[in-house]
Amino acid sequence: MTDIDEFPVACGAHAMDFLNRTCLMVPHGARHKCLPRLGFRILVGTLLTVVCAGFLEAQEATVDFSRDVVPILQQHCIRCHRPDNRKGEVSLATAEDLIGNGYVQVGEAEASQLIKLITPQGGKPPRMPQDGPPLSDKQVGVLRTWITSGAQWPDILVIQEVAKAGLDWWSFQPVHRPAVPVIPLGQLPSTAWSHNPIDRFILSALVGKGLQPALPADRRTLIRRLSFDLLGLPPEPEAVEAFVNDPDPAAYEKLVDRFLTSPHYGERWARHWLDIAHYADTHGFERDQRRDNAWPYRDWVIQAFNADLPYKEFLCDQIAGDIIRPQDAQAVIATGYLAAGPWDFVGQAETRSEVLRRAARADDLDDMITQVMTSTCGVTINCARCHDHKLDPIPQRDYYALWAVFAGVRRGDREISAQESLQLEHRKQSLRSELRVVAEELAKRRGQFWDLADIVGGGDGRMTGKPGAGIDPLTGQVLVNKRGFVENVSMNSFVRSSVKFVDGVVIPDASPDGTVVSSTGVRIKNVPKTSGQAWDAIRFGPVNSQFSTRLDDTDFATADHTLLSLHANAAITFDLAALRQTGVPGEIKFTSMVGYFGETPRNGASFSVFVDGELKSQRNSLGRADGVVPIEISIPDNARFLTLMATDGGNGIGHDQICFADPWLSPAQAQPLDPGNQAEIDRLRKRRSDLEQQLKSVPAPSKVYAVLSETPAPVKLLKRGDPEQPAEEVQPATLTAITALKAELTTGTATEGERRRALAEWITATANPLTRRVLVNRLWHYHFGVGLVDTPSDFGYGGGKPSHPELLDWLADEFLRQGWSIKSMHRLLCTSQVYQQRSSVVEPAAEQGRMIDAGNRLLWRMNPRRLDGESVRDAVLTMSGKLNLEMNGPGFRDFDYQEEYAPVYRYITPDSPGLWRRSVYRFIVRTTPHQFLTTLDCPSPANLVPTRNVTTTALQSLALLNNDFMLRQSNHWAARIQKEVGPDVSQQIDRVFRLAFGRSASPDEMTAARKLVDTAGLPQLCRMMLNANEFIYID
Amino acid sequence: MQAFQSRRDFLWNAGGGLGGVALAGLLNSESLLAEDAPVLQNPLAAKSPHYPAKATRVIQIFCPGGLSHVDTWDYKPGLEKHHGEAFDAELGKQTFAGIAGNYSKSFWPFRQHGACGRWISDLFPKFARHVDDLTFIYSMQSKSALHGPAMFMANSGFIRPGFPCMGAWVTYGLGSLSETLPAFVVLPDTRGLPPGGISNWGAGFLPAVHQGTVVETSVERPPIHDLFPPAGRVSTPAVETAGQDFLRSLNVAHAADRPGDSLLEARIAAYELAARLQLSAPEAVDLNGETEATHLEYALADPDIGPFGRQCLLARRLVERGVRFVQVFCGAENTSSKKIRPNWDSHEDIVRDHGYWGRILDTGASALLADLKQRGLLDSTLVICTSEFGRQPFMQGSQKGRDHNPGVFTAWMAGGGVQGGTSYGTSDDLGFKAAENPCYSYDLHATALHLLGLNHERLSYYHNGIQRRLTDVHGHVIESILK
Repeated sequence: MTDIDEFPVACGAHAMDFLNRTCLMVPHGARHKCLPRLGFRILVGTLLTVVCAGFLEAQEATVDFSRDVVPILQQHCIRCHRPDNRKGEVSLATAEDLIGNGYVQVGEAEASQLIKLITPQGGKPPRMPQDGPPLSDKQVGVLRTWITSGAQWPDILVIQEVAKAGLDWWSFQPVHRPAVPVIPLGQLPSTAWSHNPIDRFILSALVGKGLQPALPADRRTLIRRLSFDLLGLPPEPEAVEAFVNDPDPAAYEKLVDRFLTSPHYGERWARHWLDIAHYADTHGFERDQRRDNAWPYRDWVIQAFNADLPYKEFLCDQIAGDIIRPQDAQAVIATGYLAAGPWDFVGQAETRSEVLRRAARADDLDDMITQVMTSTCGVTINCARCHDHKLDPIPQRDYYALWAVFAGVRRGDREISAQESLQLEHRKQSLRSELRVVAEELAKRRGQFWDLADIVGGGDGRMTGKPGAGIDPLTGQVLVNKRGFVENVSMNSFVRSSVKFVDGVVIPDASPDGTVVSSTGVRIKNVPKTSGQAWDAIRFGPVNSQFSTRLDDTDFATADHTLLSLHANAAITFDLAALRQTGVPGEIKFTSMVGYFGETPRNGASFSVFVDGELKSQRNSLGRADGVVPIEISIPDNARFLTLMATDGGNGIGHDQICFADPWLSPAQAQPLDPGNQAEIDRLRKRRSDLEQQLKSVPAPSKVYAVLSETPAPVKLLKRGDPEQPAEEVQPATLTAITALKAELTTGTATEGERRRALAEWITATANPLTRRVLVNRLWHYHFGVGLVDTPSDFGYGGGKPSHPELLDWLADEFLRQGWSIKSMHRLLCTSQVYQQRSSVVEPAAEQGRMIDAGNRLLWRMNPRRLDGESVRDAVLTMSGKLNLEMNGPGFRDFDYQEEYAPVYRYITPDSPGLWRRSVYRFIVRTTPHQFLTTLDCPSPANLVPTRNVTTTALQSLALLNNDFMLRQSNHWAARIQKEVGPDVSQQIDRVFRLAFGRSASPDEMTAARKLVDTAGLPQLCRMMLNANEFIYID
Repeated sequence: MQAFQSRRDFLWNAGGGLGGVALAGLLNSESLLAEDAPVLQNPLAAKSPHYPAKATRVIQIFCPGGLSHVDTWDYKPGLEKHHGEAFDAELGKQTFAGIAGNYSKSFWPFRQHGACGRWISDLFPKFARHVDDLTFIYSMQSKSALHGPAMFMANSGFIRPGFPCMGAWVTYGLGSLSETLPAFVVLPDTRGLPPGGISNWGAGFLPAVHQGTVVETSVERPPIHDLFPPAGRVSTPAVETAGQDFLRSLNVAHAADRPGDSLLEARIAAYELAARLQLSAPEAVDLNGETEATHLEYALADPDIGPFGRQCLLARRLVERGVRFVQVFCGAENTSSKKIRPNWDSHEDIVRDHGYWGRILDTGASALLADLKQRGLLDSTLVICTSEFGRQPFMQGSQKGRDHNPGVFTAWMAGGGVQGGTSYGTSDDLGFKAAENPCYSYDLHATALHLLGLNHERLSYYHNGIQRRLTDVHGHVIESILK
């Protein structure tokens, strides 16, 4: 036999699997070609003995290197002793070090250092392997025999680390519905335990370990448990009493159904999914700008849970909704899932370095792939980015095949419906044109004046310009978009402007040479000090990151005013001669209210006004505290240039927002107005204000931060994960380890959308063994506190093994039978006896439980739970009566926002109804975590979060005791109680206990509470109740 | 049924395969004890290191924005030779702003100092007196030229946010030396937070107890957020005591009905610890007891230098009181603040910005080193000073500043078991790239952990499929600089 193709086909296929999975690194491309001769002889022996056992019996007697020795070295040695780390200066990947360094004395096992290291010496345990159990006697024997018989090691053979798990790993096997265990009647705690298959699986395991389940919890406990679990909110006292006193034996099942139809159910369970999708409302990274259109996706998740959207569709829509149903707005919104993670503006857009951009994009795709594969399939695909997965059978190639699936996906804002956008634009245009007519009419009647702000906006001074438009102080060109610092500033280089009636602009220079301010070379010598920087543009309206448009209690952004914003350092010169050709008279005056509109109270910036280069008005070091400075400047009929200038005083340009409000040119001699005019002016103003209001209320076309699809570039495997080291091209595909499904998805010519759609179908295929197991396990995790697999996003070798594998499979199969209905699974889990157990067990059962299963993985009692951060906040607001149950829409912003290069988010105490909404509607800032909630273990959306940490810290106690939010809500709660039950202290206390704990106070508690209320007042009682363990923990 | 695994089983079974499983370390940790025998455990209880430690605590001075090595600690005579020459544009393609101007020598002359003859620029006249106690690493590199990612790399070993920072790993590994103060304290610049904000001291996926606690550095506010009720809501001590007594009685009765639930007891204990913190934290930040000489040494009265001086003095007081890890920021985020850049990011005017920040760092760091030494704390306290990257040896276009340089920069260490008067690695002749012994934050972190008695390959935590480490899959202890 000289060629592998001579094997029977089936055998050959196995052979390739075997090769891939085990020991050999063959030269690239050699897998399907002839292998060197020596290598072949070894291989053939291996294959025959393993795959076609008994075929070559002659070799069975001796140790076969590949079959017997390689697995030992591979499993126990190679991790620490491989070519790239060579611990103790020895690599066991090839024979070189072993023979060369004398670890192996060929033919003399006992003299070989290798044998000494792996066997006990001088009464001490073997020194190797250092990080694992010693080798078995049989394994040592194999190595002895190998050395004695010549220690043959073919040159071609290089041992590589292999994944710890093979294709036979449990989670990759098909889901089979196991038989439900039959529990002998005598072992049933009650007949209730015989109905729900879950109970019989759990009971079977408990009985097997000699354990008994706990007694059923009482109804008061159950409603509180179920309410927080399904709704994330405490039950109302009235609901508790009604349930406790309900004579219907099916009262509990009714309660489960009622909660599952509550809209708050979706809010609660969406939060879990948003953890897994690491959803936030800002981009993250250094600049962390707002992502104002992320929330429609959040609302979609809430609605999907409430509507019990089958999980199969739930996933398909999120991965490829825009492809599957492009006309369906909801399907488009669903793809917000793929964009939910962070996006690096600096690395992907701002930097000019291609290398940095490639690196940032690589991280972007890594995040997307990792999110999709861990959330849906519980596969830690990210471990295969730089090399083959070390634990699971995921070659690096699979990772880049998935990369190819998403290679054309960018995160970004997209319109949800093109039709809607068009209609809204029509509506706006018609309002705008009517507004223009009114404005013109008004301008005519208000007497003759020409507004310089309007001119800056491209108008003729009669309100025909575009509010918000600006002129670049460096180039004189129109600038509509926002901008920050003006880059590559050059001072004193006057440029003509393309804007009508504007002669030009210049960034002033305070040097003795002065600054040229006109196209004819007019030079100004007395320019105040400047730092030479410039910001944004000269604008009709506020500049980018304008601190405020208010000064001296007047908002100059309203209809009766205009603003010409001249952020330091910049100057603009108007061409009066050109204006005079449109009807501006000869002798005119320039009037304006000038002010420093930035934040700095004093010593901010300066403004100057020049006519033909002659200084007419100047104020230095103006600050907000100086208020509005009215100016009036007469302009003779022979003057041609009016120059407005703002300078920073040489101390930097931060917030140096000089604005000229109502900057008007008008005839030097104002003409008396027709008295009848005033009524018409008032009517027009009202109409204008109505129209502006209507224009404002036209919504922007709905957008969602989701998938922007582009043509995918060919994808190459990246050596060591380095974007600068591309290797062979890879086609779109998915995990090869799932042998029940085909890994190839499409070809490299498939469109971006087809690739995603194919992946969505693969993920949700009935034969996919992971997706349903992962989901039912997540449900179990959230209901019971620990999943059957305690690493819900890792079903690989590195994760936990299932505590009840049969139950997991039964649930995964039942989920399919229930049409992927999540609510059906909730019903099944919540109505089990296991779920309804008590969390506290009396001795001696407790002692026995702790002895046998301290972690309670077998569920001999219910796990008590601490409320997560969001539930604490929502529960506190429920107590105070302030919880605002308004659903959906943009997130509430409990912070002050300041636009900067990296925007600043300063959290404030939420003390208005708009900020008292449920926590799921919070505007989540990615890199400025909410301190109060973070202290309560609310995770950072930088990470995919399958399980939340639960910590108990002193800082947590301080936050719950002293945070302003807690104190204010305690006061609100006390006020509510007084209003509801009047002045009787006992009734007040009773009400407080019923609201907080769902029960009345015991006599001892009543006494203690009365004492507290007497000495410290009702708010203090309320505050302490919010800190009580009984409030924070669920039994 | 397949037998389920306890975490201990899992670790044993996986021990041969999982890289860097901190088996021995974890066996002593609370997570296993809690599972095998639930007992009340303080997650910050002091833990034994992997092996005897040289240093028991760390003060890290972080200079965000990118401190220019060629103008400060890394003397480059070659740069003087090429001063004014044009930079080879092809090599410069990775710079952040993209335009390379001419080479420029240091804006401050260098001279030799100390018995070791270390070259230090005149930007740091006071600091230069300490060179015999310092080790310089001249070959630091970063994997990003962007502030945010490079900050994260310097602090957590990863350029993406969401990973635990060094302070969090250290407290995870070693716990706290103080019963009453947080184990990991951050002292931000009074001007604001550094690029990347509070993620720089986040615990990532480690339990939240390991995240850095910000201690207010401005004098007016209470030292720790929510330490007391906000002003205007302060009740009397009698009211507070009555409330706490009531709370305790509620919680004790509640726990008595649920025997064996250690979490409930832990939460009762947390309120007691909180009460102790209310006493210890104000004491720790009260500088009234410090001598006049100390006030002068740290230049507390100087409006520019004083705030950082106060941060450094607080750092000394905190480690004195058992805080394990103190991170001091010398600089804030890039904002459009007045006058000068609010950190070391000197793109347009290095003389103005480094000149300003240089005086601040010079005074604060040298006062801190002298103070620690004089009190005998330096031997057991590792002081580290670093930045997220350096700056280019050439000017940024036609501006008077320098662009980011992730190719090489300098970090220094003092005390805590490192040699004085020595150095490791070099940059190339011009200070453009690392030359001998290139290092990353991995190596700095591995070395710091080593000095604290922790093996960086064994200090690990399972997260989403991976036993995560501060040093990712990298890192070498820099043996040659150890005592």
